[in-house]
Amino acid sequence: MRPFTYERPADVRSAVAAAAGRPDAAYLGGGTNLVDLMRLGVATPRTLVDVTRISSRAIEETGGGLLIGAGVRNGDLAADPLVRRAQPLLARAVLEGASGQIRNMATVAGNLLQRTRCPYFQDVTKPCNKRLPGSGCPARTGDHRNLAILGHSEHCVATHPSDMAVALAALDALVHVEGPGGARTVPMPGLHRLPGDEPDRDTVLAPGELITAVEVPHLPFAARSRYRKVRDRASFAFAVVSVAAALDVAGGVVRDCRIALGGVAHAPWRAEAAEAALRGAAATPEEFARAADAELARSSPLPRNAFKAPLLRNVLVRTLTDLAEPAGFAESEPVETP
Amino acid sequence: MSGTETRPDRGQSRERGHGPGVGRDLGVGHSAPRPDGTLKVTGEFAYSSDLYLADMVWGATLRGPHPSARIRSVDVGPALAMPGVLAALTCEDVPGELFYGLDRRDQPVLAADRVRYQGEPVAIVAADHPERARRAAAAIVVDYEVTEAVTDPRRAAFDPSCPAVHDGGNVVRHQPVRVGGDFTAPVVVTGEYEVGMQDQAFLGPESGLAVPAEDGGVDLFVATQWLHVDRDQIAPCLGLPPELVRLTLAGVGGAFGAREDLSMQVHACMLALRTGRPVKMVYGRQESFFGHVHRHPARMRYEHGADLDGRLRYVRAEILLDGGAYCSSTPAVVGNAASLGVGPYEVPNVWIDAYGVYTNNPPCGAMRGFGAVQACFAYESQMDRLAEACGLSPVEVRVRNAVSQGSRLATGQVIDSPAPLAGMLRELAAMPLPPEPSRTAGPVAVPPPAGPARAAAATSVPDPAGVRAPGAAATPDLLDLPGGVAQTTHGEGVRRGVGYGVGIKNICFSEGFDDHSTARVRVELLGGEPHVLVRTAAAEVGQGLVTVQEQIARTELGVERVTVAQADTTVGSAGSTSASRQSYVTGGAVRAACRAVRERLAVLRANGETLAETLERAGAVEETRVYRHRPTFPMDPVTGQGDSHAQLALCVHRAVVDVDVELGLVKVVELAAVQDVGRVLNPLALEGQIHGGSAQGLGLALMEEVQVVDGRVLNPSFTDYLIPTILDMPPMRVSVLANPDPHAPYGLRGAGEPPTLSSTPAVAAAVRAATGLRLPRVPIRPHDIAMDGSRYGNWAGDRSL
Repeated sequence: MRPFTYERPADVRSAVAAAAGRPDAAYLGGGTNLVDLMRLGVATPRTLVDVTRISSRAIEETGGGLLIGAGVRNGDLAADPLVRRAQPLLARAVLEGASGQIRNMATVAGNLLQRTRCPYFQDVTKPCNKRLPGSGCPARTGDHRNLAILGHSEHCVATHPSDMAVALAALDALVHVEGPGGARTVPMPGLHRLPGDEPDRDTVLAPGELITAVEVPHLPFAARSRYRKVRDRASFAFAVVSVAAALDVAGGVVRDCRIALGGVAHAPWRAEAAEAALRGAAATPEEFARAADAELARSSPLPRNAFKAPLLRNVLVRTLTDLAEPAGFAESEPVETP
Repeated sequence: MSGTETRPDRGQSRERGHGPGVGRDLGVGHSAPRPDGTLKVTGEFAYSSDLYLADMVWGATLRGPHPSARIRSVDVGPALAMPGVLAALTCEDVPGELFYGLDRRDQPVLAADRVRYQGEPVAIVAADHPERARRAAAAIVVDYEVTEAVTDPRRAAFDPSCPAVHDGGNVVRHQPVRVGGDFTAPVVVTGEYEVGMQDQAFLGPESGLAVPAEDGGVDLFVATQWLHVDRDQIAPCLGLPPELVRLTLAGVGGAFGAREDLSMQVHACMLALRTGRPVKMVYGRQESFFGHVHRHPARMRYEHGADLDGRLRYVRAEILLDGGAYCSSTPAVVGNAASLGVGPYEVPNVWIDAYGVYTNNPPCGAMRGFGAVQACFAYESQMDRLAEACGLSPVEVRVRNAVSQGSRLATGQVIDSPAPLAGMLRELAAMPLPPEPSRTAGPVAVPPPAGPARAAAATSVPDPAGVRAPGAAATPDLLDLPGGVAQTTHGEGVRRGVGYGVGIKNICFSEGFDDHSTARVRVELLGGEPHVLVRTAAAEVGQGLVTVQEQIARTELGVERVTVAQADTTVGSAGSTSASRQSYVTGGAVRAACRAVRERLAVLRANGETLAETLERAGAVEETRVYRHRPTFPMDPVTGQGDSHAQLALCVHRAVVDVDVELGLVKVVELAAVQDVGRVLNPLALEGQIHGGSAQGLGLALMEEVQVVDGRVLNPSFTDYLIPTILDMPPMRVSVLANPDPHAPYGLRGAGEPPTLSSTPAVAAAVRAATGLRLPRVPIRPHDIAMDGSRYGNWAGDRSL
């Protein structure tokens, strides 16, 4: 681990000031991802600015939705009665990620800023354009089984690992940011970038910008929503693919919908093509499949992750079909995995 | 069939020995509690990573990043210049022999002119803080010239133009087995199979503490599987006589074969002798993946010929095991794969070639099941294909070919103890099946994609249950469905499959090895009460040997108070905690020493005297005994014939799985097992062994694989190397048979490994039954299933069967 200085500023303004103009500074939240990466030598900040004591841990109802403090622990978020009632999709997505221990440490802002699990990114002995710009992307020809099929570039095929971010991307969340230049909000999707020719930049945040809260607007039909995640074992595993979806159906016709996909792109992937195909369409498995195919028409799978396309199609069609059932399957309360 | 006990895992109460209290029987045959059990459960047990001395310093290792490279130079200067650094050593500082190894001394203590696998140790550092030691190691400058890495085991074995990883060629061992000469049959099934590289995934990383001694020697406290073989490799490298290298077993956090080879032992001792300070080394999890051997990945070609009624006429097989960069125990692994390569079946004609090869992949060696696991996956997959070809059930084809006492193995060795395989299979098949999968709605057909679709794309998934099983809950338990709490299905797309697996494992070391153990037993008065002290060098690695030793002493001597001393090298070798052998061999030594003590006491004891009175009058009584199992013999290098094994053990599994064929998710609903253990020494500990071995086999079937591309490991963490969680492991139905082996102490049969063999092919067979896919490779992961489902279009990319 590279030596670093540790600072614990008294408020958000001083935190931002402490990090301002220092590209090798990093904000420390729960540390569940950053500290691991520092141990591996993947992250090498010179300064850690600990924001755990100054980040809001409040979840408040605003006029238009929920305002979730950046320091809210993932476990608290998923257990919060307001969240479970108003945004069950978010609670469920959070519970599908990590372990109870990690959720108890990890923060909302840190969850959004997780780095990829791409094996080449995690290993400092290998080239990786995200870790070391210009060094190359061995994943394209190597092991990319878990990597992107949508929106990747010749420079990077990494995926974003968060489950929570997929739900937020479906729910049109707004990320509140404080930076050297003042406060601003960044819409979800939109916080996370596609790799393009700058894969080292995961998000649109400028150096020194600090996430202070996430606002999730009220969306009445999202009360009926699903987060479906396919993974390699029953728990404690990242998504192979995942789907966050909410559907507004009236008279057998889709009035509106929100669909975001996880495990398939450098960012949580808002399925705009699928949404466009669905609005006004009959709420039938045939139409859902057509919508899935519309989204997948934009995909460019690599040889060893081509399976993700049919897998995603199946899980998307199944999720939408489930949501469209008039009676529906009884959706149980989000369950805490052991 | 004697001693049968069936214990459904859930629901009914179980006999778990007697509760605590006066007069309880804690001897052989009872569920005596583990002396280390409470400490481990409460987190108070001291593992080797917890070792501490006030003046100790910390060691760290610099490892080469390349699978194959020449080393032009190593400069430790930058490390030595750092504050707190006491020593930085390279191969030039090795005091004695430069190489060590279990079978061949081919592994450098520290790499000299080249590195042969990613993660090979190049230099070591001692510093006053672990982080300083790590940074100093990273500061060492090594100039590498990267060379071509040999990563294809087939090329390593058979391509004469392939570079040699070591002088003398890449084939470490080729063991043929030749029986008969008639390789014709009316029914022939062939298949090619692969087993991925499994990791032992123990929880306690490699760690130990080396303490320099005033006599010029060193005391090493270390988590290992065999203290004496460690010592006999360490001492020559240190240039010390063995008596100056004293080992004491530290708390072991799991082993499963991964501690058979040396890791940090010589390094810590070198640093301790150089600095004159106690040196502690603890690998992190990532380093641990590079710090121990893994299970050999295997590529296997099999051809089974049979009569129309399914009786085997011949088996031909080629078994290729990738041993990686160093020999480790590859020769013995090859011996097992060859000698047990047709499984526990009577086969009149056999032609097997088993190879272990050097490559620049991670070194592979011992792991629970040791060569028998890989072959078992292949021959059991073949037996299912044979059943299909002959129109027989998987159970029937196995019963028709099953060995029994008096049968010959492919090596010509006669099975001379009970081997009631046919009966075990029938019992397994007769066990009730779990209820059919619950569901809340009919199947939802995912429409086929537009454009060219496969012919079968419109086939709908048959409703696996038709109707909900009687008694099934209206709301299915999420944990019972594939995908579990992710609720990826409510029953749609789910198909059930049932599969069987049979395995045969040799117990104890084979092929002529002088396999023995030593026990010293002392009976004395402590506080006026008779007390037994048992001392051996046998490593307790979590399996429960320490409990069994106590039980044997209690039974043989009739004394309840027994202490098993911490294992060390002050007593003769106990052999390895491997090959399911310690209850047999060290158990045999403890029994022999106890009986010698008992004979002495019988002579000493005056009429009417109690044991306490005798001990009071005559003093303590101590005896040391060495126990050997009956001799074994090498396999003939040309024909493979020979009585190579001391004991053979059988386990059979039935797996019931639900597979979501659209999403590729597998839920193992139940594992049932029947195992013959000869004699139950401790029912609870035995149950743990069978559950644990079955879980490790399930892991190999469905998720566990060290992913290696071009000689580099891609997933050296427990985030990315997946082992089953409690949600992945189903309840088990276990039936234990106890048909005594007349050659073994108490008639016992080693129990730890056999369940690891048969659960893998049983789970794989069940997934095949559910999906109709061939699935020739384990682990089977979602993409192996969802890619090939008949309900998809042409998304399948380049994957071919």
